Amino acid sequence: MIVVKTSDNETFTVDREVVERSVLIKNMLDDIGENSEQAIPLPNVNSSVLKKVLEYCEHHRGEPLPAADADTSQEDTRKRSTDISEWDQKFITVDQEMLFEIILAANYLDIKSLLDVGCKTVANMIKGKTPEEIRKLFNIVNDFTPEEEAQIKKENEWAEDR
Amino acid sequence: MASSSSNAFTNAPGRTADLEETWAFLSQGVDHIMNKLDTGMSFDSYTDLYTTVYNHCTSTKMHGKADSNRNGANLVGADLYAKLQEYLVEHFKTLKEKTSVLQDEELLRYYATEWDRYTTGANFLNRLFSYLNRYWVKRERDEGKKTVYQVYTLALAQWKQYFFVPIQQEDAKLAGALLRLIERQRNGEVIDQGLLKKVVLSFVSLGLDNNDLNNECLDVYKEHFETPFIEATENYYKLESETFLASNTVSEYLKKAEDRLREEEDRIERYLHTSTRKELITKCEHVLIREHSELMWESFQKLLDFDQDEDLQRMYALLSRIPEGLEPLRKRFEGHVKQAGLSSVSKLVGEGGNADSIDPKAYVDALLEVHKKNSETVARSFKSEAGFAASLDKACREFVNRNAATGSSSIKSPELIAKHADMLLRKNNKMAEEEDLEGALNRVMILFKYLEDKDVFQTFYTTKLSKRLIHGVSASDESEASMISKLKEACGFEYTNKLQRMFTDMSLSKDLTDSFKDRMSQNHDDMDITFSIMVLGTNFWPLNPPPHEFVIPAEILTTYDRFQKYYQTKHSGRKLTWLWNYSKNELRTNYLNQKYILMTSSYQMAVLVLYNKNDTMSLEEIFVATTIGKDILTQVLGLLVKAKILINDEGDQYDLNPGTVIRSLMEFSKSFKSKKIRVNLNLPIKAEVKQETNEVLKAVDEDRKYAVQATIVRIMKARKTMKNQGLIQEVISQISHRFAPKIPDIKKAIETLLEKEYIERVEGSKDTFAYVA
Repeated sequence: MIVVKTSDNETFTVDREVVERSVLIKNMLDDIGENSEQAIPLPNVNSSVLKKVLEYCEHHRGEPLPAADADTSQEDTRKRSTDISEWDQKFITVDQEMLFEIILAANYLDIKSLLDVGCKTVANMIKGKTPEEIRKLFNIVNDFTPEEEAQIKKENEWAEDR
Repeated sequence: MASSSSNAFTNAPGRTADLEETWAFLSQGVDHIMNKLDTGMSFDSYTDLYTTVYNHCTSTKMHGKADSNRNGANLVGADLYAKLQEYLVEHFKTLKEKTSVLQDEELLRYYATEWDRYTTGANFLNRLFSYLNRYWVKRERDEGKKTVYQVYTLALAQWKQYFFVPIQQEDAKLAGALLRLIERQRNGEVIDQGLLKKVVLSFVSLGLDNNDLNNECLDVYKEHFETPFIEATENYYKLESETFLASNTVSEYLKKAEDRLREEEDRIERYLHTSTRKELITKCEHVLIREHSELMWESFQKLLDFDQDEDLQRMYALLSRIPEGLEPLRKRFEGHVKQAGLSSVSKLVGEGGNADSIDPKAYVDALLEVHKKNSETVARSFKSEAGFAASLDKACREFVNRNAATGSSSIKSPELIAKHADMLLRKNNKMAEEEDLEGALNRVMILFKYLEDKDVFQTFYTTKLSKRLIHGVSASDESEASMISKLKEACGFEYTNKLQRMFTDMSLSKDLTDSFKDRMSQNHDDMDITFSIMVLGTNFWPLNPPPHEFVIPAEILTTYDRFQKYYQTKHSGRKLTWLWNYSKNELRTNYLNQKYILMTSSYQMAVLVLYNKNDTMSLEEIFVATTIGKDILTQVLGLLVKAKILINDEGDQYDLNPGTVIRSLMEFSKSFKSKKIRVNLNLPIKAEVKQETNEVLKAVDEDRKYAVQATIVRIMKARKTMKNQGLIQEVISQISHRFAPKIPDIKKAIETLLEKEYIERVEGSKDTFAYVA
């Protein structure tokens, strides 16, 4: 069993197989060796997010990890599709703040599939919306000058869906 | 595992730390990893280092100048990458200094130890800086900056540039040390192969293909190791093989070369990159084999002469490794076998003194012995390689058809072999056991396959078979059938068709005799003569009717007439020709105290029954009474005199002088005595024996003429028109499985067919023929 410690000093005891979905932790265990007395500190993740992440890892335990330098064709299919499995869909149905926390944690812990689920979810949120709607959705202040905005619009005219 | 010392880093910098602060912290970790990793590392330190890299790369604050040409978001990492690069350059300064005093094995040992430590450390770095690899490095490479590497690869590139190349620049110090170590091993010393392997394989790792890092790139290995290694190998073996041959035999050298080649194969397995195999082995084969192939070829004959099997095997194995190596051996082997065959037959002829009186069995045995010995050599020493098998066949074909026994005659060899087969298949031959007989027949077939004039063999064989069947002296039907099926397998249905028909005639005749007897016993009760008949198809049997009249003795005339009638009613229109010269009879004597049964030919019978009415007769009287040709009659009488059935009144000797013969009187001997009750008087007479060979020759010539003509017609029918030269070639190729046709004979056949208008000359051309439909 592996002990991990979050930024808010909470410890979790987890199966190695589960926690190893994080490539960071997997590498660490490979490099240094297992040590049940020492907790692995994760200073960039808090306990509420880690709980969520571990739920994901638990569900996906045993699935093959993507190779370090994945085959490009495989990479392409993964990128192109915005499909999310039913379980993942349910799992990622959280408030926006948690969604971004999960994405950050997945990136930090190097859990590629979770990072994908998060990013695809965000992509699906953006899909079909106008810039104005997107700004509203994510609480973004428009910092373009009117000239800049006109320029960008013109440059991307070809992509408009008419 | 984590010791307290590994936790001695200062506290990790905060998320917003600048480059100086960040690197100040990271460099401690990098230093620890590169120099003191053996003291361990804690999870805390590991996470701190990783997190620091992560924080740095994810900070939104720009470090250093932004790249204004770049589209999209900027990624942070260039500064960190540069710092790492600088660190490694510095790292090598101390490493490199230490090498200056090291040489050979010490240098290799130091290099290997440092390589291990360095690559382990680099692996750690690669993972701790994985965030840098994942985003910044990936982006740089995606954008075409092929000299930006993942951290581990960067470490290798740095090793090559700041450590490996500088050492090699001092007189190829590393490669030199490797080569000297390998030379020591070649000289028989025990060396540390693991060390060698580690250093050699590090050369492989150092090759980087900047276009695709996943590609194995052997540039460094080839330049710094393989090329000098191959050169050293060539020099080493050139010197060694020359020195060795100066004071050792070729046999010894074969062993040496074999060992050396095996050693080099092992060497590749043990510590070289597999890609070196081809070049190394090719080079060794060149120096060890090709450079000395002349010498090997020349020693080949001696090895053959003394049956040095193992050496032959070795020489074959070695020379088969170079493409041009075996052909000279095959040529020499062919010559050797041919010579062996020829001298074996010469010896035989020398013993017998005369090629005519040569014993067929001795002849066949001599040929087979040579074949057997050399085909064993092919199997054992040359691994049954097709080229050597072909050389063996070529040589055998040569000496089986042309040797001291045959002289220039093309029928002698087929004749002797057919005679031998005849002896095997006769009753009372020494090959009593079935198995041996089968084996002996198989051996005959070995020679048969080499015969060029298979039709000559066929003719002799047919004649011999007919004798065996007529005289009932065949050993067994089974063996006869077995031999025929072997011939059929070798030459096809047509070749054995006649032979098979002969057997059919034999069994039909048996049935005919039985049914005739049945009929006679129903119609007559005076059949006191035991009678059996063979009715043989004229086209299938090589038999000739007697050249003279024959007065059928009254004693058998009734039976003769009855059979004639019986046969005509059964098969009207068929003509029976009575072959008295092949017939035989049994006579019971009544004129002596002891009753004998005389087994005679029909001629002898005809003579002897005359003495039922006369006690003495002159040759002339006998001739008139029987009308048997005088030349044959004198021999018939001669045999009877010799057997003391008849007495020639001019003494014991029956004089063949025609002058005396005419006047001589034959007298019936009443003092005949014999130990056996059954006396066989039916011995072959000389005229028959001589005639036989001549007849065979005539028959063969005749058959060939028709065979050639038939072949030409067949070809022309298929091709319609053909040039003279092409036609001759085609005939030769189609017919040579039966005999080797002579070109003048083919031309003669063409002439005949032109005359008979089967073919015609094409108008306006001299040498083109057309088929006449």
